[in-house]
Amino acid sequence: MKRVVHVAVREFVVTVSNRAFVIGLLVMPALLAGIGMLIPRLFNFRDFKAEGQVRIIDPTGLIVPQLRTAMDGRQIAARRAEQTRRALANAPPMVRDMAGTPGDQAIQMAFGPVPDFRLEERQASADIQTEKDWLMEKGPGLPHVALIVVHPNAAIPKDGETGYGTYDLYIPANLDDRIDGEIQSSLREALINARGEAQSLNREKINALIQVPRVRSVTVTSGDERQTVRGFNIFLPVSVGALLFIGVMTGGQALLTSTVEEKSNRVIEVLLSAVSPMELMAGKLIGQMAVSLLVLSLYIAMGLTVLTSLSLFGLFNPWLILYILIFFVIMYLVFGSLMMAIGAAVNEMREAQGLMAPLILILIIPWILWMPISRNPDSLTSVALSFIPPINTFAMLLRMASAAPPPWWQVWLSILIGVGSVFAAIWFAAKVFRIGLLMYGKPPNLATLIRWARSA
Amino acid sequence: MTAAIVLKGVTKTFGRTKAVENLDLIIPRDALYGFIGPNGAGKTTSIRIIMSILFPDHGEVSILGFRSAMEAKDRIGYLPEERGLYRKMSVGSFLSYMAKLKGVKDPGLQKRVERALESVGLGGTARKRCEELSKGMMQKVQFLAATIHQPDLLILDEPFSGLDPVSSRMLRDLVQTEHRRGAAILFSTHVMPHAEELCDSVVMMHQGRKVLDERIDRIRRQYDPRRIHFDPLDPEADVSLLKALPEVEDLQRTEGGHELLLVEGTDPAQAMKRIVQTITPARLEISRPRLEDIFIKLVARGQETRESLDELRAGLIDNAAKGAAV
Repeated sequence: MKRVVHVAVREFVVTVSNRAFVIGLLVMPALLAGIGMLIPRLFNFRDFKAEGQVRIIDPTGLIVPQLRTAMDGRQIAARRAEQTRRALANAPPMVRDMAGTPGDQAIQMAFGPVPDFRLEERQASADIQTEKDWLMEKGPGLPHVALIVVHPNAAIPKDGETGYGTYDLYIPANLDDRIDGEIQSSLREALINARGEAQSLNREKINALIQVPRVRSVTVTSGDERQTVRGFNIFLPVSVGALLFIGVMTGGQALLTSTVEEKSNRVIEVLLSAVSPMELMAGKLIGQMAVSLLVLSLYIAMGLTVLTSLSLFGLFNPWLILYILIFFVIMYLVFGSLMMAIGAAVNEMREAQGLMAPLILILIIPWILWMPISRNPDSLTSVALSFIPPINTFAMLLRMASAAPPPWWQVWLSILIGVGSVFAAIWFAAKVFRIGLLMYGKPPNLATLIRWARSA
Repeated sequence: MTAAIVLKGVTKTFGRTKAVENLDLIIPRDALYGFIGPNGAGKTTSIRIIMSILFPDHGEVSILGFRSAMEAKDRIGYLPEERGLYRKMSVGSFLSYMAKLKGVKDPGLQKRVERALESVGLGGTARKRCEELSKGMMQKVQFLAATIHQPDLLILDEPFSGLDPVSSRMLRDLVQTEHRRGAAILFSTHVMPHAEELCDSVVMMHQGRKVLDERIDRIRRQYDPRRIHFDPLDPEADVSLLKALPEVEDLQRTEGGHELLLVEGTDPAQAMKRIVQTITPARLEISRPRLEDIFIKLVARGQETRESLDELRAGLIDNAAKGAAV
């Protein structure tokens, strides 16, 4: 047993002290941080100010006054405040508490400075081509950002028709989307107000009439009820699946690489003079399992921190962590031992690719089935998959992380089947490992590995 | 005292090939044993069986009184033919790791490693990565990895293979040091002169079978001295006259002079007297029987064809030459 511990400790220390491992471990959080923080700063979202000259040809004469009002800085600020209020109404409580009552400065931080548009009205008979040419002119003042041509029936339908016309919008090349968006939302306001006034309708009353606030649905289970967070039921299973995949691939790949390295370095026979093949295999499996658990723990801790900071921890069943670990150990031992057997059978990494293909395929199957299982965790297919090794671990965890977890007996039956598959995989791998370690020359195929397992 | 190694009727087959056939072997605790034979004779397979890396199809194995090397791994040192190092690991860590696997306790381990490195002239290299060492230095580290736990039995598989003469001498000294310390040593080689030089006993293998198992001094006594080295005092002398002598069966020119093969049963003293009478020698001496000749003689008893024997001898000579040259 001491020898197994020595081998395991070496595997762990060598792997975690490797520069590539440390970099790899930090890449994911660094990427997330980069996307979340660095990119907005790099692209200067907050400091962008939409400004420029806008020309409008309005044959109705009703839109221009409304648009002047809609493009007024105070109006735009008011619209933004309303938009923020709606967004916060749908956000988790923690986010609402953190946001408090957002002031002008906070809104400006989120949306950027209030736009500054100068509206210039042109005659209804103006030549559109000349106006388009104006768009491309570059002068010393504010840039020319848009030409609006309002349709004659934009505010009042033609006689005998109920449908309204709209407008044509011309913009120069490379105009920022946000300027386009601000102009269109101002135009929308202007058109609705103009149409309402033409019908002698009060905008306040129309707003009150059409406003039906979105409510947050409540998920009811046999035990309790809780507020539904949209996306959580999809996000959680896929996160759990990704954790399992990352853990197994981290450990399995390292096992494969280190075994191939020991064999190609010809250090393997030196080791076999000190430990038995089974001790070597067990030590390596345990050592890399510890590495994978370290990686998993870091990612789980990061995930829980995010959930807690968003006040979503209440939606998460803490027992799921225990089951993630149990299913991880099962899946890791199955795939890890098989990958190590492949490492023992080949002479170099290039030769391992062919034998690895079936294993990778099996690891990918659950990703193909992820959506059907998450959406319908109680279907016959979902239930059946959660009892078929070696993908039962993945399928069962997806079901457990879904909105309708399976009964406990199914979970433990799946674990039992998983344990059986671990014994089968280790039995096979140990036989291949023992023979393969001292075999050099032509790399074996799958049939040869099976023959080794039978003959050993 | 129990023997270091006892094999009884050990047989191992790979498919249709019998790698080792009915091998009996007893190696005492104080022995320095050579395991010799051409490539493919079954030496490495036998050693792997002794080390419990392979298991025999039939037969019994006893190592240091245990039923298997698995039970005595901490008391055995092993330097395989295909030996390697963890290239990225430091020399000190590698030796410590191997020592721990061999049951050496942590307290004092670092000092033991440093002492071992100093003893082979590698003091101060403990923190260096293995890949930073020269080939000769690596070979020393590999030997230390096999002996760091001061084993009672040291098994070396083709230890001189690929070594230059300096490294070869260095390794020979290290082996002798271990033997003086009290370790029983078994080493395999296909280079017969190495075995002649170093061993007190040899086991000869051919096609998986043992053809000889004897002390070197007894072998020399047992096999008649039938070869005589001869150098004429006058370089212009007609040496072919010697071939006409009734005691001489064959005469061959060698690099250092001539070699005479005597007719079987001839008294060497009588033959030498006749040679001196025929041509005045500058040098005349009985050559000791070479292991390769003994090996060929033994194999010939096994009804090998003349062609296959010539091929075997050429292989052994070539191998020996290679072994000496590298």
